Amino acid sequence: MASNRKYKVESIGPRIGVFLDNVLKLARLRLSFEVVPGEVPHPEIEDPEVVVRFSGVDVELLLENKAELLLALEHLTMEMLRMPSEDHSLLCFDADDYRMLRIEELRLAAMTAAEKAIRTRAPFRFNPMTSRERRIIHLALRGQSAVRSESIGVVPHRQVVIVPAGMPTPAVESPAASSFSQRGRRR
Amino acid sequence: MSEIRQLVEDIAKALVDIPEQVSVREVEGEQVTVLELRVAPTDLGKVIGKQGRTARSVRTLLGAAGMKLHRRFTLEILE
Repeated sequence: MASNRKYKVESIGPRIGVFLDNVLKLARLRLSFEVVPGEVPHPEIEDPEVVVRFSGVDVELLLENKAELLLALEHLTMEMLRMPSEDHSLLCFDADDYRMLRIEELRLAAMTAAEKAIRTRAPFRFNPMTSRERRIIHLALRGQSAVRSESIGVVPHRQVVIVPAGMPTPAVESPAASSFSQRGRRR
Repeated sequence: MSEIRQLVEDIAKALVDIPEQVSVREVEGEQVTVLELRVAPTDLGKVIGKQGRTARSVRTLLGAAGMKLHRRFTLEILE
């Protein structure tokens, strides 16, 4: 298994280290990190080859607002490495096991939403999520026959809907309304 | 060069194909410091990213750095 990995700590670790050291220093973020081989709590959902794990006083800042800063650093690092988008699940940034707990949370949310859609015979609409999180919902409901999951709308408002079998996919909420609620949540 | 200007320049240079054509100008306002980023026309997509995600990530990082420095930073990518 380890032998056919595309990304290895030995090859991308040093480049990630140089890039992040500089970025964290200039942004005055008090964080340290280690680049380690991926572990596999849910290999059927996410099977990262390399994990970058952060610690330090600014971990809280990293995880604020649905881990916005953690995901921003992850995205910039992937772009720096020129990783094609189909490889993005092979590198994972984490702190305080946020990503693993988030997968668990999304799996539970998917199951609860599926039950509700079946019980009420009405589609259930999730809040907008990143593609990586939408994928987790779809994978969690892969085996269900009483409901199907679909992504609707345009990024960054793209959202998952859970639809009872045989029912049409609901229309996208008006973008004006959703961008307004997005703005309302910002500080 | 300020640390923030260096930050934007270093990230941009890591993302583009022609790092020699990256330049960042810092314009200090009363409340906000504007960081004007210029890259080669062929590299614009690299610093903006799909659906603007790369530019958004840089802005998120500037927001966090701004909290540390008690200053607001705005990124403008100039075409």
